[in-house]
Amino acid sequence: MPRPTPNFVTFEIDGRDVTAPEGSMLVDGAKYGDVEIPVFCYEPKLGQPVGACRMCLVEIEGIPKLQTACSTPVRDGMVVITGSQRVKQAQNAIVEFLLVNHPLDCPVCDKGGECPLQDIAYGWGAGRSRFIEPKRHFEKPLELSPLIAIDRERCILCFRCVRFSQEISEDYQLTFLERADSTYVGTHHGHPYVAPFSGNIVDLCPVGALTSSAYRFRARPWDIENAGSICTICPSQCNVTFSVRDDMKVLRVFARDNAEVDDGWLCDRGRYGFQAIHSPERITRPKVKEGGTLREVSWDSALAAAAEGLRKAGAGTAALAGGETSNEEGFLLQRLMREGLGSPHVDSRASGPIEREHARALARPELAAMVSDIDHAGAVVVVDSELQDESPILDLRVRKAIRRLGVKVIVVGGRPGALDPPADAIVRTIPGGAEAALGGLAAALGEVEPADGAPADRRAPRDSSQTPVGGLDERQHGEPARQGESVEGGIDDLSRRAGTSAESVRNAAAILRAAGPVVVLWGERLSHGARGGAGVNALLALARALGIPETEGAGLIEVPAGTNARGLREVGCLPGLGPGLADAPSAGRAATEMASALGDELSALILLGADPLRTHPDRAAWTRALDAAGFVVAFSDFPTEALTEHADVILPLESYAEREGTITHPDGRLQRLRQAIGHPGDVRPVWSVLAELSARLGVPGAEGFLTSPMVSRALFDAVPFYAGLTLEEIGGKGKRWQERSAAAAAPAAPELPAPGDLDAPPEPLEPENGDLRLGTARSLWSGRETEHSPILRFLAPGQRVELSAEDGVRLGVASGDEVTVARNGSSVRGVAALRDGLPPASVYLYEGTAEGNATELLNGEATTVRVHKAAAE
Amino acid sequence: MSDTPSNKSSNPAEASATRLADDVIAVQRAPSPTRSSSAYRAFGATLKGLRTTLARTLEKPTTIQYPEEKTPVYPRFRGRHKLHRFEDSGLEKCVGCSLCAAACPAECIRVVAAENTPEHQVSAGERYAAVYEINLSRCIFCGYCEVACPFDAITMGNDYELSDYTRSDLIFTKEMLLADPIERTPLRREGE
Repeated sequence: MPRPTPNFVTFEIDGRDVTAPEGSMLVDGAKYGDVEIPVFCYEPKLGQPVGACRMCLVEIEGIPKLQTACSTPVRDGMVVITGSQRVKQAQNAIVEFLLVNHPLDCPVCDKGGECPLQDIAYGWGAGRSRFIEPKRHFEKPLELSPLIAIDRERCILCFRCVRFSQEISEDYQLTFLERADSTYVGTHHGHPYVAPFSGNIVDLCPVGALTSSAYRFRARPWDIENAGSICTICPSQCNVTFSVRDDMKVLRVFARDNAEVDDGWLCDRGRYGFQAIHSPERITRPKVKEGGTLREVSWDSALAAAAEGLRKAGAGTAALAGGETSNEEGFLLQRLMREGLGSPHVDSRASGPIEREHARALARPELAAMVSDIDHAGAVVVVDSELQDESPILDLRVRKAIRRLGVKVIVVGGRPGALDPPADAIVRTIPGGAEAALGGLAAALGEVEPADGAPADRRAPRDSSQTPVGGLDERQHGEPARQGESVEGGIDDLSRRAGTSAESVRNAAAILRAAGPVVVLWGERLSHGARGGAGVNALLALARALGIPETEGAGLIEVPAGTNARGLREVGCLPGLGPGLADAPSAGRAATEMASALGDELSALILLGADPLRTHPDRAAWTRALDAAGFVVAFSDFPTEALTEHADVILPLESYAEREGTITHPDGRLQRLRQAIGHPGDVRPVWSVLAELSARLGVPGAEGFLTSPMVSRALFDAVPFYAGLTLEEIGGKGKRWQERSAAAAAPAAPELPAPGDLDAPPEPLEPENGDLRLGTARSLWSGRETEHSPILRFLAPGQRVELSAEDGVRLGVASGDEVTVARNGSSVRGVAALRDGLPPASVYLYEGTAEGNATELLNGEATTVRVHKAAAE
Repeated sequence: MSDTPSNKSSNPAEASATRLADDVIAVQRAPSPTRSSSAYRAFGATLKGLRTTLARTLEKPTTIQYPEEKTPVYPRFRGRHKLHRFEDSGLEKCVGCSLCAAACPAECIRVVAAENTPEHQVSAGERYAAVYEINLSRCIFCGYCEVACPFDAITMGNDYELSDYTRSDLIFTKEMLLADPIERTPLRREGE
C-alpha cells in the first residue's frame, strides 16, 4: 500500500476560504484556517471518531441540524459557521450539561491548570450553571491499577480510555459499566487494569478522572519545566518529555509525539521507570576497592586508579558497552581502547560476534525500512521477537497497521506471542528454528513463478554497482531456474529443520507474494550464538527473495537487545569494525570470547553500563571471567553483584535524563538526548569521564573535548555516512542518516545470498529422555527500572517456565508449580506456566530476571534442558 | 505676576543683552537693603517662626516610642501572611493547589502537595500542602496570593516587623505561617 498523497480541497469556514487535505475531519481542517473547534472525545490517534461528547457542533450550510465537526469530513465548497448564535448556544449547553455532574474541585484535582475541560468551560461555556440539584457521587479516589488512580465523579464519559484499551493496545480490559448517569469506566471483573500500555490513558483523559499515581499531587503545570529527550530504556527510543521540578527532580514522563518513532504512545516501563533515577540506591560517587572493600573517593583519585590499572593491562584490556551507551560514549570508548590502550577487544553485543560483512549488509540504506513504513507496508514479518516485550511501541504500530490499514502480518518464531491473534499467518518453529524457517520462506517465495510480473521483478539481481567485497559468499547466484530446482525438496526439509510444517511456510510465502512492500522486524536473537551468522544469512536471503532492496517502502528493522545497538555498531563498538563500519586495524574478541580469555590473555575489563552477569549468556563463564580479571573498571548506576564483588573502580553512570548526546534508532534515525536535570551527587557526564580517562592514557586530542557537542562533531566526522550532520539538523525529531546525501558513503556489502546459497541449518536437536529444547525470551518488566522504581516494583518478574500443556501433563507439572530447569549441573528455579500455543518439547525461560536468570543455562548453542517439579521445601 | 520670563525678555536693556550673546543670563537683583528692612529680617522673621514653635511646646508629644510602642495599622494593611485552619475541625484550609504560587509576581511561594490518608488527614480535601514556604525577603506584599486562594486559607496579616539576621530565616514554613502570630502589631481602632 503506497503512502497516500493528500489531495487538497477548499471550503469556507467563518467567512474565509481554507484549503485542507481531502478526507480530514472538519476539526483538523479548521486548523488550517486558524479556527479552533473545541473537542473532548476526538483524538485522531485513536482511530475513527465516535462523536460522543458533542462539543464540536458546528453549523454547515445546507444541513438543517448542527453537525459534529469531529466526524464530518471536509468537502469542496462546504460552508461552515462556527461562531453563530446557534452554535454558541449549543456549546454553552454542552458545557453546562458536562458540568451537571462534574465536581468543581479544580484546586484539588491533579489536572487543574492543564485541563481541557477547564479551558473549554472558560472559553466556550456560559460561565454559570442553572443546576442546583446534587451531583452524582461515587467512591473516590480508587486505584484502577497500582499505576493509575480513577475518580469516577470527574469522568465525562468521553470514551477515550475505553477506545484506547479496545482499539489501540487491544487488551480489551476497560469498558463502560452500568447505564445513564451511573455509567462508569472499569474493568469487567473489577481486576486492576494492568497492561503494558495502561499509562497512556492518563495522557488521553481530558479531565482529571484518570491520574497517574506517580505524579498524583506532585506539582502544577506552573511548578514544572518540561524538557524533551529520548527514553533509552528500550530500542523503541520513544520521544519523551520529562516534567522537571526544581531542576533536579523528574516528576513524570509523557510522550512527545513523533509519528516517525512512537506515534505518541509510551509503554508503562518508559512512563513510570523514571523513578529509578531518584532511587536512594543509586551510585552517585566514584568508588575504589582498597583492601577488599569499596571506598568512596574523589574523582581525581578514582580516575588515577582507573588509568593506572588500565595502563598496566594495556592491550590486555577488554571493554563491554551496554545497550544504553550513547553514540558519543561508544565512540570515545572505542578510541580509548584502540588508540589509548592498543586493544581491539571492544564489543557492544552480548551474545556472540557478528560478521563484518553482515554488519555492513544490515547497515545498507536500501535494506532499511523506517518505522512509518510499517503503516504503509503490504505485509509485516515479525521474526523471533515478542515485540510487546522487546520493543513495545512497535507492537502498537503493527497493531495499528493491521487494524486500520489492512496490513498483513506473519509471525515467525517459537514462542506464542501477543501478535498471534491478529496475525494472518504463524510459522511456529522450535527454539532457534527461525533460521531454517526464514530459509524456507525465502525458498518458497522463489518456488512458484507468480502470474503477475511484479514479484518476479523483485527477484531481479541487484544493481551491479554493488561490488561483492568477499568474505560472506562469493559464489555466483541468482539464476531463478536453479533456485527453483534446488528448493523444490528444500522447503519440506527446511521446514522440518525449523520444526514447522511446510504448509505454514508456503502459506506465509503466498501471503507475502500477494502483498506489496514487506517490512521485516527481526529480533536480534536470530543473530545470537553459534548459528548467528547463518541466521543473518537466512534473513538476507529472505530480503533478497522479497525484493527488499529494489522496493520502495520495504526493508528490515532490527529489534535489538540493547537500546542503541545500531548506533554502537556504527560508531565502532564491535571487535572487528571501527567507526563507520570500516575494518578495524586488528580484529578483537567478541563478548563471548572475552569471557574465556579473561585471566588468560586479557587481564582488565571495562564495563560501560554493561552487566555481564545479568544480560550476557553463560553466566558461569562470566562469573569465572570476572573472578579471573585482574582489574575491572565499571561505569554503573546501581550496585549489582558484578560490581560489588568484582569491580576495582566504580564510576557513577548518568541516568538517561541527565545524559547529553545522540543515539541511533534501529531504523537509522539519529536522535538527540538532551539533559533534563542536574547530576545528583558527584555524578559526572560519562563522555567527559571517558575523555579525561582517554587524555590520561594518551589518546591524541582527547583533552580537546570540552563539551558534548564537540564529541558529537568528532563522531560525525569519523563516520563517513554521518558526515556533515549537525545537532541542529537532528533537532527534536531526529534525522535518518539514510535520507542524507552522505548515505552514499555507507560501506559496500556483498550481494545478498540466494536461498540456494545458504548452509543447511542443523538438524533439530532431538531431546532425549524427556528433555526439552530451551528457548529464551525477555520480559518487558525485567530490568533495573522496574526493580528500582517503587511504583513498578510489583511488576518485577520472577522466572517463569513456559511449557506446553502436553509436556506439563507428561511431567506432572501444573501452572503455578515451582519447577527446576537444569542443564549440565547448572539449574534455575521458576514458576511453571502451561501455554496452549507452545509446541511440545520446548521450554521458554526469561533472560535478565533478577532471580533464576536463564543466562545460567545458555552457552550460545542450541541446548536441551531437563525440567522437573521442584522438591517441596 | 510681573516677573515672568516673557516680561523679562521684553525689557529693552535685557533684550539688547540677549542680542549681545545667547549665553548671557540676565540676573534680576533684589533692591539694595535699607536699614528698616535689615532690622525686620533680623528679628521679625525669627519671631514669626518661633511663634509656631512656642505654640507647639504646649501640645502633647506625637513621637511613638518604637519599639516599646507600635504604630497601629489599618485593617486592610498587608503584612506578614497567615495560614488558617478550620476552627471546628482543626484541619488546614489550604489544599495545596498552588494557585497562590501561580499568582505570585515575585515567585516567592513554593508549594509541594501530597495526598491525605485516613490516618493522616491534614486538610479537608484529598490533597494538602506538605511544604508551604514563603520567602519573605522576596515578597512584595501585593496580596495576590490572598486574592487567588479559593479557600481563604492564606490572608495577609498585620505584622510588619520582619527583619532578621539571615536570609534563610526569612523563608517562612507552613508551621510558622500556621502558628498564631505573636500579636505584635496593634490594629487601628475605628475612627483613629
